[in-house]
Amino acid sequence: MEKSKKLPIFLDPLLKANPLFVMVLGTCPALAVTTSFEAAIGMGMLFTFVVLFSNIIISALRKVIPDEIRTPCFIVVIATFVTIVKILSSTFLPELYSTLGVFVSLLVVNCIVLGRAEAFASQNTVVDSILDGLGNGVGYTWAIGAIALVREVLGTGTLTFGKTFTFIPETTLPILAKFPGSTFSAAMPVFRSNAGGFLVLGIALAIIAAIENEKKRKEKEKEKAKVAAAKAAAAKAAAAKAMAASEAAAEGGK
Amino acid sequence: MSYIISFILAIVSYMVIDNVILSRYFGICSFIGVSNKIKSAVSMGIAVAFVTILAALVCWPIYTFILVPAKMEYMETIVFILVIASLVQIVGYFIKKKSPTLYRSLGIYLPLITTNCAVLGVVESNMAFDFGRSMANAIGTSLGFILVIFLFACIRGRLESSNTPKAFKGVPIALIVAGIMAIVFMGLSGLIDLGSWGVI
Amino acid sequence: MPREAYIAIAIAIVVALVAIFVISFVVYVKTPAPKGCEKKRGPNCENCEQASCRFYSYAEEREEAKKKAAETNRKDQQ
Repeated sequence: MEKSKKLPIFLDPLLKANPLFVMVLGTCPALAVTTSFEAAIGMGMLFTFVVLFSNIIISALRKVIPDEIRTPCFIVVIATFVTIVKILSSTFLPELYSTLGVFVSLLVVNCIVLGRAEAFASQNTVVDSILDGLGNGVGYTWAIGAIALVREVLGTGTLTFGKTFTFIPETTLPILAKFPGSTFSAAMPVFRSNAGGFLVLGIALAIIAAIENEKKRKEKEKEKAKVAAAKAAAAKAAAAKAMAASEAAAEGGK
Repeated sequence: MSYIISFILAIVSYMVIDNVILSRYFGICSFIGVSNKIKSAVSMGIAVAFVTILAALVCWPIYTFILVPAKMEYMETIVFILVIASLVQIVGYFIKKKSPTLYRSLGIYLPLITTNCAVLGVVESNMAFDFGRSMANAIGTSLGFILVIFLFACIRGRLESSNTPKAFKGVPIALIVAGIMAIVFMGLSGLIDLGSWGVI
Repeated sequence: MPREAYIAIAIAIVVALVAIFVISFVVYVKTPAPKGCEKKRGPNCENCEQASCRFYSYAEEREEAKKKAAETNRKDQQ
């Protein structure tokens, strides 16, 4: 295949077909682990690992797996990689593992991983599936990262690094924190609470819907303008024809 | 006696205070997807409840009596998902074969439950508990799921006929309503303190 | 017990569970649905993009595509 056909496989899930913002899939971890920006990025990394490797294995085995039992096979493959991720993260990133808790295991039932296996990896080549897995992983990571950024900054007023990834020196950036010389803090703890996730994701989806609506409206207007222009041109042509005909008739009458 | 009281308190706690959807964020996919109509929402809720309780009943002994003695706790995820998926298929088979009326109302929701986060989430979080608390967790979670999905379906029915801004139609306004519901349920936090009851 | 025994038990458990799952899955799919609800999809598959839902919609779409391909093949042969 040409290069121009490969690139959209990777780029589409970043924006146009973003698994979280456009398809509204994988909402459980997107709401649960987004109280801290770092934890969300860590979740995105683990997710990328699982979706990438399950895509590779499933696309490599797509001709071996019988069609009738492909769903059980996908579940087994995905569960294997989730177990690997669990073991790796609990050894090398124990803080991240304890922060994410049960949501690492819940990657098994993540809608996106199974959806990619069903819809893409089981019908495409290994290279395409790698691109698709990477695209979906990166797209999901930035999406939950963005939600976590909003929630952490609005909820605590600060942005903390180094708590989950302990190899980074611990730093806290005050963004909305107390103003110097006053006890007033602009932080709104509701965004950090259980309700905050729903509110932030709902507003994000509404903004995206508004942008889409605006795009559609502009396209419609363009089309309308085109149709109107075509109509006007046709009417002009018809009028000119009629004029010519009437002139000809008048000349004939003389 | 005090164990029974604790059991009932734990059920109430998991049902309303530590609600699956609104505070633990399990099962949001099905929560948003299926809550358009009250009837389908309740059917989905009942199916999830049935499978959750059954899975908790089966998985706890498997973990405690097979995986722990054999020092294979790391295998829990793969074992649990296989057990849940098999359970769903077996239950679906019996419903399909024996009871057409039940199949008509619950059948189409059963295959969706394999990938419902609520079931696996409850089963995974049960592994730190003894049998009593894990059953209380399963029962309370199921009841809480039915309660919230029913309330939410009622609200969504009203939402559809109300005049929402165009950009908020559908999922966004549903999520915001869920957020407001979560704020309401947050008011109950701290009502019951289970402490370390039933924790191994 | 030696370590190898634990690994053997682990493999045996997983194999047994996979076997149970595959058998129950095939049995479930092969069982004909009761009358009146043969071709029922999820509650609102069209607007619900859930992957769990996709199982069934994709399976149906695949079967339809297969049937169409077979028909076109037949027509071509004729």
